[in-house]
Amino acid sequence: MGSLVAGNEGLMPLDINGLLKYLEATGLATKIRDSLFLFPLIESTHVLGLALVFGTIAIIDLRLLGIASTERSFQRMASDILKWTWGAFALTAVTGALMFITNASVYYHNFFFRTKMVLLVLTGINMLCFELTAGRTIHGWDRAPSAPRAGKAVAVLSLTLWIGIICVGRMIGFTTTRAAAAPPPPAGVSFDDFLK
Amino acid sequence: MVKQFAQWLSTTSPSVFIQNHNSWVIPAIQSIHIVGIGVVLGSVFMIYLRILGWAGLDQTLRQTTTRFSPWLTGGLWLMLVTGLLMVIGEPVRELVTFSFWLKMLLVAIITAIGTIFQISLRKHEQLWEDILVTRRSIRGVAILTFLIWVGIIILGRLIAYDHIWGPWSPATKA
Repeated sequence: MGSLVAGNEGLMPLDINGLLKYLEATGLATKIRDSLFLFPLIESTHVLGLALVFGTIAIIDLRLLGIASTERSFQRMASDILKWTWGAFALTAVTGALMFITNASVYYHNFFFRTKMVLLVLTGINMLCFELTAGRTIHGWDRAPSAPRAGKAVAVLSLTLWIGIICVGRMIGFTTTRAAAAPPPPAGVSFDDFLK
Repeated sequence: MVKQFAQWLSTTSPSVFIQNHNSWVIPAIQSIHIVGIGVVLGSVFMIYLRILGWAGLDQTLRQTTTRFSPWLTGGLWLMLVTGLLMVIGEPVRELVTFSFWLKMLLVAIITAIGTIFQISLRKHEQLWEDILVTRRSIRGVAILTFLIWVGIIILGRLIAYDHIWGPWSPATKA
């Protein structure tokens, strides 16, 4: 009953279990849990957003690596594309947060959820590394077919991290209980029946 | 009939293999499928932005489609292969749903639209570059067809939640 003990320290500013329980009990979380279609719709929108995030970031990374769009100005591409990336990222953050609050304590303690958060932080640090290295000399290589070595390293890391985020993200769904409103699978879909 | 086919498919050896390793094979295939969605959606998104004049105006429409078509095609093949593997691995869960078949209908429609667009662009390149991309009606059609892509992606995820369709879902019938 570790959470109960922590719950007794409700006035402490860092009572994480209390916060998780509070999030789960909010009207919004309850509404999503009780609805038959809200969680599925939120999850679908999350996939839509992350596809755009990954797809648009990959275009930028491939440009840095000199694999595609090599004849275009990097700055021009970045200003064309990255605003959409950020918009899509905001969509995934909002839908992700909405899914999180429906079952906060389970997600919080889930290994894949935690790994995903760490990987997301790493993509942020990776972006910062770009700004501090190749990002400072863009005017020098803006029209070159590829970025300097540091920029290429950032691009490889970015692609790797985002594919990793997609994989661990999918694993979260397989290792946590779904929103409470989701009914058990209908009769006749158990493979064990066919295998017997 | 679909249900019987799905049940038969689930007894075949490739399906049994995936079922026996489903703790990692299914999530792995789904993850690759999502990476494929990213490649496909990113590519079509850039072509749509160019048609709408919202990005890539330093390139012609033809340059834009030439840049992204190979990735679009490659991504679609990746989705087809991983999609088939998911159907083989979980035939009943995939095939006995309303979401799956509506998604396939939309995939057929968007494939037809995409093919017509490619042929038309090749035949009337100058017309597209100079006049059509500035037409309001073309922009409207572009936004509408982009919404078909959005629908395809949402329906793909909804296969896992087919009960939301209520009586339309064959899965809810015992």
